[in-house]
Amino acid sequence: MILVVLELLVRVFHLYPEDSPRYIDDFGVEKRVPHYKGYTVTGNRRQNFTEYRINNQGFNSYREFTPGYSKKELALIGDSFIQGFHQNYFNSIGKKIEDRTTDIEVYEYGYAGWDLADQLHLVHAYPDDFDKIDKIVIYVKYPMDFHRTDYEANISRIATLNSTIFKVRDNIKLVYYASEIGFLDPIKNILIGNQDAQEKPKHEKADQNGQHEKDSIYISNFEKLLKKYPIDRSKTSLLLDKRHTSQAFLANCTQKGIDVIDFGMWFEKSNRPVTLIYDKHWNNHGRSLVAQSIVGHLQLK
Amino acid sequence: MLFNSVEYLIFLPTIFVLYWVVAKFNNLKVQNALVLMASYVFYGLWDWRFLFLILASTIVDYVMGLAIHREQKQHKSGRLFLWCSIVFNVSLLGFFKYYNFFVGSFVDMIDLFGYSIQSTWTLNIILPVGISFYTFQTMSYSLDIYYKRIKPTKSLLNFATFVAFFPQLVAGPIERASNLLGQMTRKRTFKYEQIVEGLKLILWGLFKKMVIADGIAPMVDDIFAHYDAFSASTLVLGVTLFSFQVYGDFSGYSDIAIGTAKLFGIELMSNFRFPNFSRNVAEYWQRWHTSLSTWFRHYLYIPLGGSRVGKLKSIRNICIVFLVSGFWHGANWTFIFWGAFHALAYIPVFLMGRNTIYKNTVVAQNTFLPSFKEIGQLFATFSIVTFSRIFFRSESLNDSFIFIQRLFTDFRWEPYIHPMGYRLVDYFVLLGLFVIYEFLIRKDERNPFKFKSRFVRFWAYTLVIFSILLFYDDGIDRSFIYFQF
Repeated sequence: MILVVLELLVRVFHLYPEDSPRYIDDFGVEKRVPHYKGYTVTGNRRQNFTEYRINNQGFNSYREFTPGYSKKELALIGDSFIQGFHQNYFNSIGKKIEDRTTDIEVYEYGYAGWDLADQLHLVHAYPDDFDKIDKIVIYVKYPMDFHRTDYEANISRIATLNSTIFKVRDNIKLVYYASEIGFLDPIKNILIGNQDAQEKPKHEKADQNGQHEKDSIYISNFEKLLKKYPIDRSKTSLLLDKRHTSQAFLANCTQKGIDVIDFGMWFEKSNRPVTLIYDKHWNNHGRSLVAQSIVGHLQLK
Repeated sequence: MLFNSVEYLIFLPTIFVLYWVVAKFNNLKVQNALVLMASYVFYGLWDWRFLFLILASTIVDYVMGLAIHREQKQHKSGRLFLWCSIVFNVSLLGFFKYYNFFVGSFVDMIDLFGYSIQSTWTLNIILPVGISFYTFQTMSYSLDIYYKRIKPTKSLLNFATFVAFFPQLVAGPIERASNLLGQMTRKRTFKYEQIVEGLKLILWGLFKKMVIADGIAPMVDDIFAHYDAFSASTLVLGVTLFSFQVYGDFSGYSDIAIGTAKLFGIELMSNFRFPNFSRNVAEYWQRWHTSLSTWFRHYLYIPLGGSRVGKLKSIRNICIVFLVSGFWHGANWTFIFWGAFHALAYIPVFLMGRNTIYKNTVVAQNTFLPSFKEIGQLFATFSIVTFSRIFFRSESLNDSFIFIQRLFTDFRWEPYIHPMGYRLVDYFVLLGLFVIYEFLIRKDERNPFKFKSRFVRFWAYTLVIFSILLFYDDGIDRSFIYFQF
C-alpha cells in the first residue's frame, strides 16, 4: 500500500522523466520516434523540469527540418547537449541562434550518446538534406567522441530499451524515478558489476602510455573517420571547449583546415554557473553563451 | 560496512534469517557464534587488521574479569587486575587515538618556551573505527565486577559477542554488561512486535541520517570551509545547521543500532531522548548521548565523589567529567574547549540546584504546546549548545576563535546560496517539519511512529520514505560523523 501511494506521489508531483521511444531508421540512423511530446525531469525535487517535442525527423526541436537552396540553414549536430532534453524545446541553442541572427533556420540534430562516428554518419546518411544546408556545426567532446573509427548502429541498445525489464521500469514511475536519482545504482552495481570500475584499468594503461600516445590514437581515429566520411570543410565547423581539448588535436585541425568554434572562452569569462544543478548539462545561461559563441564566430567569418 | 549502504541491506536480512533459523534448534551457543562471526565480518570489511585489537581487548577483559572475581572470593580487592584492564584499554586508546596529539602538544609547549624542536616522533597512525566505544564497554565490564555489580561470565563466546555485537560496535550505544551481557546469556525468542519496533526505528534512523544529516551536510561543509568569507548571518546559519546535522547523524545511527538489535531480540539502552527539547544544559546532558554521559557518571563522576562532596569538589568533579568527555571525542584542543565550555554552562545550573529538576519530565509534559517560559528555555539551551558546536566542528582552536570573532564583529545580513545551487527553502521547510514531528513524539524516543490511528501511522511511514527519496543524494560521503571518535 505504501508503494502504491509512493507511486501516486511520484506521478502527482511528476518527479519522473518521460523518455520518448527510439528506433533505427532505414538509413541506419538511431533517433527518436517522431511526434512525441513529454517532459524531462532532473534532480530529486524537480530541480529542472522541461518540455520536449520530437519533430517529423525524429529530433527534439520546435521546428521541422525542411532544407532548401533558397534559404539559409545551419545544422547543429551533437549528443545530449544538443539534443536538449534539459531545456524547453522552444528555448534551445538553435532558437537562441535564430533570435540573434536574421533569416537563418537552425536544425538541431541531437541524440544522447552520439559520438563523432554517429555524427559524421548522419551527414552522409542524409546527403540530400545536408547538401542544401549552408553551415554544419558538429559538437565534439575530446577525447570521448574519438574512440571509434567506424560507425555501427547500436542495435543492442535499442533492443535493451525495448526489453520487458525496461518497459516495466518505464511504466512503474517510482522505479524509474528511483533509478534516475541514483537510488538503485548500488544495487545495479552489485547485480551487473560496476562498469566504470571494469573500464578503469584500460584508462590507467592508457595513462601510463602518456598523453602523446593517447593523442596520436585519437587523432588517428579522427583521420580514419574523415577518410570514411569526408566533410565539406568550407561549411563545416567543430564546436568544442578548447580548455578540455588536446593541443595536438587542435593543431591537427588547423593543419587540415578544419574550422573550430571555441565556446570554452565564453564559459571562462562567465561569473555565473553554466551547468544545471544535479547535472552536467548546460543551463539557460550556458546555452546562451554557446549560441553567442557560434553566432560570433560565424559572423566573424 | 555502513548501516546506510546496500551491502548492509544484503547483510542484515541474511544474518536475520540465519539467526532465527538457528534459534529454532534452541542452541544459544550457535546463535551467539553466528552473531559474533557476523560482527567480525561487519567490522572486518572496514579493516580486518583491527579485529585483532577487538580480540585483544576482549581476551584481556575476559581474563581480568575472572581474576578480579577470584581475588574478591579470596577477600582481596582485585584492584591490581582492575588496573591491568584500565591500563590496557587506556593504552590502546592512548596509542591509536592520542599519541600524535600528545607529541604535537609537547612540541608546541616547548615552542612556547622559546625552544624549537623538530618532531620525528609522530607516527602515521590510522584511528581504528569504534575503538573509543568498545574499549569503554569492556572497561565497564571490569569496573562492574570490581564494584560487585555483576558477576563475570565464564563463557568467552558470550563475552566476545557482548563486546563485538555489530549493531553497536562502532558508534555505540556504549552498553553495560549488566544489560547486554545478561541478554547474551539468555534464550531469545522471536517476538513479532519487537521486530516491527526494530524496523520502525531503523526507518526513522535512516530518515534522520539520509535526509536531515546528509541533506544539510554540503551547506555545513561549505560554510565551515569558507567561514572567513561569510558574514555573521551565514555563520549562524552554518553552526545551527551543524547542530541539526550532528544530531541527525548520531541519533540516526543510534536508532538504527537499537532497531537492528531489536531484530535479534536484544534491547539496547537509549542514547538520545530528544535533546533539542531540553530546558537547561543539565537536561541536555540527560538527553544527549546518554550511554556516554551515564558511563562517565557511573565510572568517573561518582567514584570522584559526585555531588555528595563539598561544592568546590563537586565543581571540580564536573569540570573533570566534561574535560575528559571532550577529550574522549577527539585528540584536538577544540574538543577539550568544547568540554570546558559545557562545564562552564553546567556549573551555574548545578549551583542553582536545577540540574535534576527536569530529569523525569519532558517539555509540555501535560499540555499540547509548551509555555512561553519553556519556549524561552528551549531556545536558550539550544543556543548555548549550538554555540559550543563551533569548537566541536572547527578544525583548530584558531579557526574556532576566528569564527566566533566574526560572529560578533561582522554582523550583517547576506543571503546564502547553496554550494550546489539547491533551493534553501526546501531545507528550511524540512527542518521545520522535523522539529514539529519530533515535538509530537517527544515522550517516547523508542517509538517514533506511536500514533493510535493506523491512518496517521500509514502516512507517517509513507512520507518518511518519500522524504528519503526526495533528499537522497548519491554523490555525497555517507559515513557517520561519530566514526571518527
